[in-house]
Formats: sequence, C-alpha cells, structure tokens
Amino acid sequence: MISDMAGLEKTIAEVIKEYLSGGAAAWAGKNGRPAADAPDRGGAVLRDITGQAAREAEFVSGALDREAILAMKRRTSARIGIGRAGPRLLTQTMLTLRADHAAARDAVLKDVDPDMLRSLGFIELESRCADRQEFLTRPDLGRALSDGAVDALLEKCVPNPDIQVFVADGLSSSAVTANLPDLWPCLMDGLHEAGVKTGTPFFVRFGRVALMDQVSELLGAKAVCALIGERPGLSAAESLSAYVAYGAKTGMDESGRTVVSNIHGNGIPAVEAGAYLAELLQAVLRAKASGIAFRKDDGL
Amino acid sequence: MGDVSILSVGIDIGTATSQIVLARLVLANAAGCFEIPRVAFKDKTVLHNGVVRLTPLSPSGLLDGDALRKIAEDEYRAAGVSANDVDVGAVIATGEAARKENAAIILESLAGMAGDFVVAMAGPDLEAVLAGRGSGAERASRLNGSAVVNLDVGGGTANIALFKDGAVLSKGSYDIGGRMVRVSGGVISHVSDGAARIAKTAGISAVPGMAADLRLLRDVCDHAARLLEEALEDKTPSPLLASLVSPGASVFRASLPIDGICFSGGVAECMRQGQGDYFRYGDVGPLLGEAISRTRLCSAFRRLAPAETVRATAVGAGCYSAEVSGSTIAQDDRALPLKNLPVLKLNRDEQTRCYEGDSAFLEEKIRGFMAQNGWIWPALAFRGEANPSYARLNALAACLSEALAKTLPPDAPFVLVLECDTAKALGQALRARRGGGAVVCVDSARVETGDYIDLGRPLMGGAALPIVVKTLVTGC
Repeated sequence: MISDMAGLEKTIAEVIKEYLSGGAAAWAGKNGRPAADAPDRGGAVLRDITGQAAREAEFVSGALDREAILAMKRRTSARIGIGRAGPRLLTQTMLTLRADHAAARDAVLKDVDPDMLRSLGFIELESRCADRQEFLTRPDLGRALSDGAVDALLEKCVPNPDIQVFVADGLSSSAVTANLPDLWPCLMDGLHEAGVKTGTPFFVRFGRVALMDQVSELLGAKAVCALIGERPGLSAAESLSAYVAYGAKTGMDESGRTVVSNIHGNGIPAVEAGAYLAELLQAVLRAKASGIAFRKDDGL
Repeated sequence: MGDVSILSVGIDIGTATSQIVLARLVLANAAGCFEIPRVAFKDKTVLHNGVVRLTPLSPSGLLDGDALRKIAEDEYRAAGVSANDVDVGAVIATGEAARKENAAIILESLAGMAGDFVVAMAGPDLEAVLAGRGSGAERASRLNGSAVVNLDVGGGTANIALFKDGAVLSKGSYDIGGRMVRVSGGVISHVSDGAARIAKTAGISAVPGMAADLRLLRDVCDHAARLLEEALEDKTPSPLLASLVSPGASVFRASLPIDGICFSGGVAECMRQGQGDYFRYGDVGPLLGEAISRTRLCSAFRRLAPAETVRATAVGAGCYSAEVSGSTIAQDDRALPLKNLPVLKLNRDEQTRCYEGDSAFLEEKIRGFMAQNGWIWPALAFRGEANPSYARLNALAACLSEALAKTLPPDAPFVLVLECDTAKALGQALRARRGGGAVVCVDSARVETGDYIDLGRPLMGGAALPIVVKTLVTGC
C-alpha cells in the first residue's frame, strides 16, 4: 500500500510540470479541441479525457447518421458507438477506460478529506479494521466500531436522538468528499426545520452498512441513517448511498433497510438528495418502519 | 408504490366538427426500489371515443353554448362517467370556434364539466402538437429516431408539427381547411378570407353566389395544397403563405430533412374515404384532400398511416395534454390545484444573476411582467443548474424569496418551475425563508414565457403533480 500519499502527489505534480515546460502542445492530440474548462497552462492544454465531451468525441468512423448515434450515446454511460481498430479498442477509448478505472481505484484507496469533515463538525471514529487492506478483505470487521470508537461514541454523542445520521467511507471516499459538503447542510436544515432531534454527527473510517445496527443500539436512536460511498464502477466513482433503518439492531434483516442510491453529479444532485432524505426520514419516523415494512407512498 | 389512474378529457371544438375523447392515464413509479421514486405514465387508454359531431356554430360564427353543453353531457353519459370523475383535460378550440366571443361561451357552457381544471383553451401551436401526438406521428419519430411531419388539416386550419426523435422541432398553423369554401345547393355560400386571398393571387374568381363549379374549386384547392407543400420547404415563405399564418401561431420551418409524413384531421379522413360526392359535406374538404394527394407531399416523403384522423386532436388533448412533474418536488396542498398561471421564464443570464443574488433585478423583472399581464402573478420558470452547491442554492432562494415577497400579493403561493432536478431542495430553502406561506416548486418541466400552466392535485402521496401547459388562454 502507498503510505506516503502527499509525497506521491508532489512527485506527480513535478513530473507534470516538467512535461508541460517541455512543449506539451502534442499532448492535446491531433484532433483534440481543449475542453471548455481546461486549465490554461501558458498555452499548453491538458485535455480532460473522462468528461462528457471526451465521450462524445470517441466516435465510430463513417457513421451514416451521426446525430442518431450521438443521441444514443447521451442516453447511456455505456461505451457505445466508439469504433474499433481491428478487433481492439481505439487508443483514445483505451485511455479513457484506464482513466475511469484509475478514478474508481482512487475512490476505494484514498481517504476522505479530513479538513472537510472537520469543517462540518464531524467527530472521526473508526471500525475494527486496522488498515485498508483489512477493510477490503474482512467485511465483518467493518460492521463494528473499535473499542476506542465505542467509548468515544458514548462519551461525545447525544443519546436517544430521533434520528442519528452518520457518514462512512465505505467503498468510495470520493463519493463522501464530493457530495457531503452540499448534502449534509441541506439534510440538517430540512430535519431541524421540521423539529426533528438529530444526533451528534460523526464519521466512521473503514465502515460498512451494518455498522448502523450497533450505532442504533449504543445511542438508543429511533432511526439511523448511514451515508456511505458506493462501490465505484467505470461510469460513476462518486456515487453515494443512504441506508435508513428504524429501530435497527444487530442481526436485523437487510430487507429492513430503506435505500436511496445514485447520489452524485450525474444522478440525484447532492442538495436534492438532502431535501429528499429529510422528508424520507420524517416519513420513516411517522410510520415507525423502514425497508419492506415501509411503504413510501404512506408517508411521502 | 401502487399505480394511480386519472381520467383525462380532450375536447376539440373545430370550425367544422367537434369531438370529445375520454382517456384513462395510468401513472406508476418507474424507478427501481433502491432509487428515488420516478412517477411516469405507464399506460394511456382511450376509454371513450366520442361521435364526430358538427360544431354547433351559428351563421354569425358564434357557438351555441347550450348545444355544446348537451354534447358534452351526452358523451359523458355514453362513457359512463360523471364530470366529478374528470381529473385533467384540455379544450382545443380552433378556427372560427376560437374567436374571442366564443371563449366566454365555451367557458360558461363547459363550467363544471372538466373537473377541477378550468377549461383551457389551447392555441393553434399546441393544437398542432397534440394532433401530431394523437395521430401517432410523434410515436413514429420516437421509435425510429426519425423526422416526421404531421399535417392536420381540418375545417378551418391546417396545423403542422415536425417531430424528431419524439421532440417537437417546429410547429405552425395556416388558415387553410376544408371549410374555407362552403357549398349549398350547388352554389358557393361562403368563401373564407384565406380562400379569397388564395383565389385572388391565382387569378381565379370565386365569390359567394357563384355556381359551385368543380373545375374552378379544384383549381382553388390545388393552389391551397401547393401552399402546404411550400410550408414544408425550408425557405422564406411567399407573401401569400405568410399572410395565411393563423393568428397566434408560430411560423413553421422544416429545419431538417423530413423522413415521413402523416396526415390527420377531417380532410385526411376524406383522403382515406376516397371518391364520392365531392360536396357531401357542403364544403371543399374532399376536393382539398384530393388536391393534397396530387402534391409532392404524398410523393416526396414516406407516408405513415395515422392512428387517428379526424379525432387526432381530441385524442391528443385527452391523452397528451397532461404531463407529470419530476418526482422530488415541493408542494403544498393548500395552494393546489392552481389554474392558468402565466409563465415568466428567465433566460440563462437572468438565471445566473438570480443564483448570484441580484434580487433588485428580479423584482423589476417580475413587476414589469405583472404590469403587462393585468397584475396577475406568475409562475417563475428557469432551467436551473444541474448540481448546485448548497451555498449557491441558498443564495438563489434568498434572491427569489426577497423579489417574490415584494411583488406578489401576500397570500399568493411562490410557484417555481425548473428543468433541472433540484426542486425539492429549492422548495425547502424557500419554505425556510417564507414562514407559513405556501411554496410550490416543481422540476423536469419545460415551459416558456407566454405559456400558461395548470398544476393539479398531488399524485401518489405527493410525489409528483400533473401539469398542463397551454400556449394560449382566452377570456379566463
């Protein structure tokens, strides 16, 4: 595992700087127009090969109806209409694929931005996993708080809230970093406007969904909501999910949880998800139920 | 979430004929169980296809309100529904029936017949679009990703809509129709202004009182049909065609190559019937149909069989006038339903100024709009930003809240219509600033300045609202 992330980032920045100073016009590619938001680096341009514009630029050659293929491409994040070189992918497609794969790996391996957590007033706790390797190989340890975290939870968190919302990195730290700053205040404003008593916010490193059961029991919360980064794919590395359980307890059925998934820039916008969750959580409290026992149209 | 069905009525009052169609629209949650609900139409079934009746129009052009009400009552009875069952709907009045005096008659005679919704008069543009949906032209363009024109030729007007991939690219209406010349007892009894202009330009003399000479009227119809042909060419229209654009209609432009054409309306029905007594309807509808058959309209494009001809507009109005909002919205039972709200749409620059908190600008904009619209308060519409930060959303809410509070009457709800999926969050932020006042904020709806909207009662436990967008409301 990479231990010195800051050092690595510095090295990469230096390499890029060196590269750019060496006349990087060629980097833009022979038919590559710079992306609209490409940073200006003194005449040289780095093209974003992962954005929507790049997706549309990868194109099967000799299309009869270019517009029709574009319309299809816009409807899906699947890599369709991308052309080929013999039996293989074109170089550009290959590079985009690898860039997306790298973003997915980053999402799993990176840490959530600690400054962001602190600025939102989160207490930082951890599961029983000692490191990321263990987190990835031992799901059971990710479902419980470490002994120290249990003590900290009992000491610092308000007991018996109506709703305890907490955040865990899960399989995408990027999802938490990208969505939490806008989702969290919107969710809290919505709940507080309705007079719901919320718990003390905390973040669990190396945490998994079922950790909410232990949290519920320790704090005596009526309902728990866990915001967790989703396993990244090649089309969305920043997707966040919210799991909600009423009266959660260790060993409960997974069918007792209500899930809202796909919270990200190209899915449900973070602020909209915050407002939706605020209403959903109130409905769960009213219905005193979650998962399959909770019918969304009863309360929403 | 269980399915919900609503009853929709479409009433088409044309120059020659009128029809009523009752349709059942089924709404369902189309999202998976791990997603935020997404309410969408699952099924649309025509329950009752009303008889095609002659429009009860007096010689002076005024509608007979009592007769109209009786038609509606008879059709409701035949369909086995009561007026209270009707949830949404639209009345399309065109040609002579759309005259200003008639609007009041329609409103009065159909009051209470169209459920919660005030009778909504749609303009010629919307009629063109609804006819294209009712005829199946829109569906064909959607299924094949092709460009399909629907030409709905009725008694008074010819309505054209161009669909590409299910979207409306252009629409328009011309004063050309089967009843532009009327014939009674072998004599021409009426020549519309449009027909008179067409005849004059062609050097043909056709005035009331002349014998209804087949060759002469065929000549007039040939010229009219060629004007329709011209309307589909992508070039500057001749002065004659430009003068025939129906009042309140857009100018149609065929902005891309057309793959297929679909004919609907009463004249299309005549084309389908084929030959017979040319004056069997006391007008030149059959002659005009035949003239259209001879033009390039029928040879240059692939012709698609319409699902409906004479009823296309009524079916379109019954099945397609109601849309459904996005499924994460902010609504308030106290304020709904809302009817005939004029739309004030902000463009991209104006929208940006609002996100940046320029409420003085917005205040002036709203006040100016209200001054021009008899001080009726508007629904404020803008595209919205796709993924705004919470700070930016709050800046927007503060700006909107301040400007709306200063311009709207104190008891009026804030009504916002967005395209981007952020209505629930914006609604929450507005509610927090408004105290107890009502806020209705919907998304996934596209409207323009000049439109009017109806917002219905919440569907599926408040997840979504039915929306009817109208291009013209007269006398309401």
